[in-house]
Amino acid sequence: MADSRSYVAGQLAPDLSLCHRWPAGVKLCCALLVIVVSGLIPLEHWPAQGLLLVAVFMALSLAGVTLRYLARRLLLFLPALFVFGLSIPMASADGLAWNWAVSLWLRCTVSFLAGLWLIHVLPLRELLTVLRRWHCPVVLIAMIGFMYRYVFILWDELRRLRSARDARDFGGGSTWREWSISAQLIGLLLLRAMERAERTHRAMLARGWDGTIRNLDEELSTSRGPMGDLPSDGHQPSGSSP
Amino acid sequence: MHIRDGILGPEVCVAAAAVSAVAIAYSLRRLRVDLEDRAVPLTGMMAAIVFAAQMVNFPLLGLPVSGHLLGGVLAAVMLGPWAGCLAISLVLIVQAVLFSDGGLLSLGANILNMAVVGAWGGHAVYAALRRCLGTSVTATVSSAAVAAWLSVLAAAALFCFEFGMSSHARGFDPRGVFTLMVVYHALIGIGEALITSAVLAFVLSRRADLIPLPEPMRPHRALGQFATAGFVAALAVAALLAPFKSELPDGLDAVSQRLGFATLETERPPLLLGDYTIPLPVAGWWSVSLAGLLGTAIVFVGAIVLARVVRWNASPLQWADSPDG
Repeated sequence: MADSRSYVAGQLAPDLSLCHRWPAGVKLCCALLVIVVSGLIPLEHWPAQGLLLVAVFMALSLAGVTLRYLARRLLLFLPALFVFGLSIPMASADGLAWNWAVSLWLRCTVSFLAGLWLIHVLPLRELLTVLRRWHCPVVLIAMIGFMYRYVFILWDELRRLRSARDARDFGGGSTWREWSISAQLIGLLLLRAMERAERTHRAMLARGWDGTIRNLDEELSTSRGPMGDLPSDGHQPSGSSP
Repeated sequence: MHIRDGILGPEVCVAAAAVSAVAIAYSLRRLRVDLEDRAVPLTGMMAAIVFAAQMVNFPLLGLPVSGHLLGGVLAAVMLGPWAGCLAISLVLIVQAVLFSDGGLLSLGANILNMAVVGAWGGHAVYAALRRCLGTSVTATVSSAAVAAWLSVLAAAALFCFEFGMSSHARGFDPRGVFTLMVVYHALIGIGEALITSAVLAFVLSRRADLIPLPEPMRPHRALGQFATAGFVAALAVAALLAPFKSELPDGLDAVSQRLGFATLETERPPLLLGDYTIPLPVAGWWSVSLAGLLGTAIVFVGAIVLARVVRWNASPLQWADSPDG
């Protein structure tokens, strides 16, 4: 799916900008710090919020995010935020409601842009390494790796199911019928995916899986020999591909 | 459904994240016991399924927008509450970190509302209902539908609570927003219930063995499950009723005001939950909701204690019936 690939542009184009080369932990902390600070700034100090917005925008351009991509994401995000913010003064006669709505819009936009910067400069491989260094349970990290691997497989499966459905169906019909067809689509996807998970599990058992998670990346990075600087394969999340 | 960063205050986000972290750690511990070495591939796959299933759009009647599955109850029914909670948490983590769908700081709140309440609470309601209704297909599907609807409403109630905690600190009265949220989520819940039951019915018609039967439980487990189910139901009911609480005095108060009894009453200090508000230093309307929740919780604890006392009285009879023990 072209669309799904472009969302994870950060994964496909590593080492492009200055921001990409920062340590992963620093990137994660920076984004979280901006979000926390933006949440704590009261509305009276809106120039500070504006400065934060400018800073995040500069970071985004430094990270090489194109204006086109930014506009597309903002076009999806801003209307929903606008409606939610508008529901505050619509639903409440409180004099503070408009103040609240405006500060909500500002805060949410700054946080959204900071999150966008992070997903652009932090590939999944680096995120998993940081999580491991921060003593996140290994099983959880392995599950994230598994899930990320399966998601693209299932998206392709879903696309095949959809095109098969469209080929046999002339469209139209009542909303109820569309709902039941979509639910069947999910059911079929679920059955196929569970069967695939069972097959994967049996294949893992055949290769000696005993429930413990071993990590090649860590072995390599802790060894002091020439093997230590082997570039790790960025194509798949490490140590977890089935 | 996803809470964006900036909507909740940072302090509320941190508190919710702490609760979620504990819930995830507990789920991980229980998961290893339940699924053993199948835990990693099955949970990863279930998370991927929910993720992909959220791409399937369901058109809304006459509206330009469309809805999608949330999946908490579906995952919990298929794999049990622990794996279900983890699967939805993984979906939320990946959506927040890689797709910027839902906030980073509010990830904990999202996990609490959708994964913990959705999967743990949803499964508790489902299992409790199924125990009462039996093991037929209709019972399974209808239990899951009710659980799905209740879990969405409970998530909305929890969000209202979190939003109230955040906005109260900034001196804003969000009662009107809550009414909108609850009405909106009652409708979303119907959609979620329909989709969950349709998918489950399809799976049951093809491979019924994928959906496990609720196994007989030890008494304290069953008790915990009933308590969780009751709490989710109470949360949903509180969500539905709190915004509509009448500001008028109730019947007895009105009569006493009209007849002038009120002047005869002597001032007395209120009880703990006097006038359905909690005497906190930061008095606000949400203390009404909090009082409702606390009151409901107290009633539940009372019911549980009562049930336990009754069982203790009943158990000697059962022992007498079965001489071999």
